[in-house]
Amino acid sequence: MSSSPEAAITQRMLRKFEAEEFLFHEAALLDGRRFDEWLSLLTDDIHYWMPIRRTTQAREVALEFTAPGGMAFFDDDKGTLTLRVQRLSVGRAWAEDPPSRTRRLITNVCVVEADDHSLTVQSNFHLHRSRLNSEEDTWFGRREDVLRRAEGGLKLARRHIFLDQTVILAQNMSCLF
Amino acid sequence: MSETLISGSGQQGAIDISACYNRETGVVDRRIFADETIYRMELAKIFGRAWNFMCHESQLPHPGSFFMNYIGEDEVIVVRDRAQKINVLINSCPHRGNTVCRAELGTTNSFFCSYHGWNFDLDGSLVGMPGEEPFYRNGLQKSAWGLTPAARVESYRGFVFATLDAAAPALVDYLGWVGRLGIDFMASQGDLEFLDGVHKNRIKCNWKIAVDNLYDWYHVKVSHGTALKLGIVQEEYMSPMSQMVMLGEYGHGIGGPGLTEADQVDFDARMAGAAGTARWFDGPASARRDPAIRAQLGPVGTRSFGHPNIFPNLWVANTQQLCLRIPRGPYETELWWFNYLPKGCSAADRRRAVFAQNHMFGPAGFLEQDDGENWSHSTRGAKGTFGRTLPLNFSMGKGQDKVSNDPSGQSRIETVVNEHGQRWTYQSWQDWMQADSWPDLMARHSMPPQGSV
Repeated sequence: MSSSPEAAITQRMLRKFEAEEFLFHEAALLDGRRFDEWLSLLTDDIHYWMPIRRTTQAREVALEFTAPGGMAFFDDDKGTLTLRVQRLSVGRAWAEDPPSRTRRLITNVCVVEADDHSLTVQSNFHLHRSRLNSEEDTWFGRREDVLRRAEGGLKLARRHIFLDQTVILAQNMSCLF
Repeated sequence: MSETLISGSGQQGAIDISACYNRETGVVDRRIFADETIYRMELAKIFGRAWNFMCHESQLPHPGSFFMNYIGEDEVIVVRDRAQKINVLINSCPHRGNTVCRAELGTTNSFFCSYHGWNFDLDGSLVGMPGEEPFYRNGLQKSAWGLTPAARVESYRGFVFATLDAAAPALVDYLGWVGRLGIDFMASQGDLEFLDGVHKNRIKCNWKIAVDNLYDWYHVKVSHGTALKLGIVQEEYMSPMSQMVMLGEYGHGIGGPGLTEADQVDFDARMAGAAGTARWFDGPASARRDPAIRAQLGPVGTRSFGHPNIFPNLWVANTQQLCLRIPRGPYETELWWFNYLPKGCSAADRRRAVFAQNHMFGPAGFLEQDDGENWSHSTRGAKGTFGRTLPLNFSMGKGQDKVSNDPSGQSRIETVVNEHGQRWTYQSWQDWMQADSWPDLMARHSMPPQGSV
């Protein structure tokens, strides 16, 4: 491969396009309630994690997030993510019956690491949930994903979700991030 | 007895507290979930007087360690001082009222007001302020202008509580045997370590709707139908026919699954090698085989796997968790899930416990996701101008059970799924709301029932 500046930029553009295409498709599946298809985008060894965030003094900002393996809002593998999806189809999942209307805006996509096997991708999100006649929730945050090359294209192998909220202002998080 | 007040909405006229819960019929007036004036009274008469849970001592490991909590809507700093004493301080500078601490937790040497720089020691005393000599001309009596401490701070087995009312009884007497048993369920597991991270979220429900639900073993199959269908929790364990309720002074209670005496005999025989089939309670009962634990819990307490509520708002859950229900106005409640483990438990036990703590409750929990929906809509049902005039039915099991006594003093009701705990909560709520002071509450509060209940 040529090492010209243009070639390097082209490679970065291609990677970014690939990552965005994956993330936008994924968001469309979730917003479109195509959850089984969403599950098929996950690797079998996926780790899906949202730590608890706290307000700390500036000099103790290292305490801001709970540590891996400890308390978290989500600390899921393929099995528990599958249960979250199955929940929606067995009946009596009251948090999603009637179903929520969600809209995910995925922005600031940046491939921070890449090799032949995977891309590490950061993105910002705004997840808006509209429910019933007048209920609205919004979540802003940052995600750090590992997208792994697999048969049939990229798959999500790791997702770390860092919400901007400390106290979750919604009555539940029955949606996926 | 009765107390007349004008409803906050100005539309409903007088609300008579004595009529808010009918002790004969078990009917509750919905306005207690929606009325602004009643809510303000609760903050003063219940949260302002009660012993409120602050944190566990292990959350404050060092001098200067602090944890922010609330008493009603008043923010308080819980902090260990240099003499190792735990203080509870109202987070409000006496100069202009500004907060002096804005982090949820951490470590500090002092609390420094960001407005004018008044600086307070870990015991709340005013250390100094800018301009003490040139502006105040040394005329301010610093010893009189510290952060206001809670009236009293006491611990029971490592669990720290505070009250704003100096006339409150001692914490152990406030808890009584039922409240103490609720904490003993946890403390008997060993020396406890509270884990880093409190799951916090807000539900648009009245705080009492959340409290009432912890006694509710009727909602499980419907509210949590998905968790049962998916096998996340077992139906026989989540909703067994044998239930036990223990009621304590000042509104404390324990309600939920309980082994019958025959169950306990059967369990002990099987553990000793007798033939028999596995039962729903084998798992939890196995954790209470140690005679030292049974001695702490007592002969009846050992057979209870119900949910304790430390009145007003601390639920001791069976998942090595505590849930505090903090009022945020009549229509909103903040849920805080504290998580603990016995110190030195095995890595496998830790993994299992952390998995349950992260996946059952909290806003993304497989059980609790669906609760918020029901609680917020129940609260909404108390808001309508017509709807709020309609009665709510809390009659399940009323007049159909009896209290059994035990030489140990552990009186209980052994029965099926019921609403005894909920009724006790609203009856005690009424006692608190009608009392003028702690001496008045001590004199007039309901004693746990005897005989037919």
